[in-house]
Amino acid sequence: MEQWVVVTIIIGLYLALTLTIGLMAGRNSSDSVAGYVAADRSFGLLVMYFVTGASVFSAFAFLGGPGWAYSRGAAAFYILSYGALGMAPFYWMGPRAASLGRKHGFVTQAQLIVGRFPSRSLSAMIAVLSLIAFVPYVTLQMRGAGIVIEAVTDGHIPIWLGSLVAYGIVIMYVLRSGAMAVGWTNTFQGIFMVVIAWALGLYLPHRLYGGIRPMFEQIAAARPELLAPPGLTPTGDPWSWGAYSTFILVSAVGLMMWPHLFMKAFTAKDDDTMRRTVILFPTFQLFLIPVFLIGFAGVLFAGEPQAPDFILPFMILETDLPAVVVGLFCAGALSASMSTGDALLHASASVFVGDGVTKFVTISEKAQRTWMRAIVLLTGAIAYYFAQDPDSSLVLLLATAYGIISQFFPTVVAAMYWKRATTAGVVSGLVAGTLTAFLFWRFPEYKLYDMHEGILGLLVHIPVLIGVSLATTPQAEEHVEGYFA
Amino acid sequence: MSLKTARALTGVYFVLMAFAVTWPGFVPFARVEPFVLGLPFAMAFIAAWISGSVIVLVLLDRVEKRHRDQEAD
Repeated sequence: MEQWVVVTIIIGLYLALTLTIGLMAGRNSSDSVAGYVAADRSFGLLVMYFVTGASVFSAFAFLGGPGWAYSRGAAAFYILSYGALGMAPFYWMGPRAASLGRKHGFVTQAQLIVGRFPSRSLSAMIAVLSLIAFVPYVTLQMRGAGIVIEAVTDGHIPIWLGSLVAYGIVIMYVLRSGAMAVGWTNTFQGIFMVVIAWALGLYLPHRLYGGIRPMFEQIAAARPELLAPPGLTPTGDPWSWGAYSTFILVSAVGLMMWPHLFMKAFTAKDDDTMRRTVILFPTFQLFLIPVFLIGFAGVLFAGEPQAPDFILPFMILETDLPAVVVGLFCAGALSASMSTGDALLHASASVFVGDGVTKFVTISEKAQRTWMRAIVLLTGAIAYYFAQDPDSSLVLLLATAYGIISQFFPTVVAAMYWKRATTAGVVSGLVAGTLTAFLFWRFPEYKLYDMHEGILGLLVHIPVLIGVSLATTPQAEEHVEGYFA
Repeated sequence: MSLKTARALTGVYFVLMAFAVTWPGFVPFARVEPFVLGLPFAMAFIAAWISGSVIVLVLLDRVEKRHRDQEAD
């Protein structure tokens, strides 16, 4: 049997298994909106840990990470640096958000914010910005799935078909089972990813270079500029410290502001579970190391993939591994893509309907679920359209989305911790920050020190939020007390 | 250790980490040699800060938990 046939069979089995787990998971979930969005607040530690880890580590880490290590060298270290920084504040913010959620019945982050700053337009703005940020994120996951399938089937299943099949399955179980499906499939896929990443990350350097240290010694001798931080730009010039550092900061600030991650605070069974997830989270970060090793292993390897994002499947194929291993790897990478994609689709629908639509029209619970399912399909379709663009870089897609999502950070902090903040303050801060980020994204030649547009946005956002809040009438005391009490 | 001290120390650790992995704190450590466990020094340096953060968070959690238990009594 030809290799690609064996690989295709393994992928098929894997996808079938994922679908089964995803569909089975929905059977015990209650039929309410809380059941669909927050899984009846019932996740234990194991599920929470893998849900969070698997949602954070996506096709971005599994394909984009090695792609950067391969083409931009030490620049990829930025991806390693921000996770622990971004997650740590959640040790306190998570339980606080959860307790506010239990008290007021919040299931999304916009509800948490609007509960404190009553404003329909604020709610709608958050819903729309979330959706805009989600599209490039879902796009990169779909493209990732398509890349893997196209590469390992030797082009027999092109990107358009591979991403269609993989995401057809994701959409099926998200539509049917909601948050429950996302939880259980991510546990399964998370375990799978970790095992595959470590196995290949240790195996490839040994097989190709005789070890990890010999590999880096040979790279340092042949291409010393590659290993010296802050690494290289896509064209091979040295990258700037300004960009490297602010990519870390914007990602750290934005990490937990992703609605699909923030919403985990509302799905956790209890606060201890959430705290332990935060504590264990950096261990998931270390899993980027083997993933980078795979990318670095490609540096001195003869031959070149069609784009840096293809380096991982390219390496796997060029090393004549048995078809079964190739198939398993492919399933690991697919699971990385799908486990984030499902959470994203699910969150985009919950946020858009819960915080956008229902603020303006009154609809029944049943109609809300229908709306959510329609949004899942719509987001999927838009992302699928963009995923066909051959020039996109997986890492840059996400880095761009972070420019928007990081703007939620001051808003959330003000809602949960700053009693003097006012609605006018947070709205003007959010508008000013988002506009600034957008302008610098659109006209990058004006960026100061090559800084990420999201950080430049925050530099405007925070002073505006504080200034306008102090200049406007404080919120009524009973409102603030009622919110925090 | 009191709750306040533990929280302050945790905060200090993560501020230091943020400084150490970005410009300018990272510059002195942004080199290839010496290799640590086969990894370039800069990469191992970041990995060490990540590992340290697990330890810091575990210690913080022990203090926080003791405090919560006392409150519950």
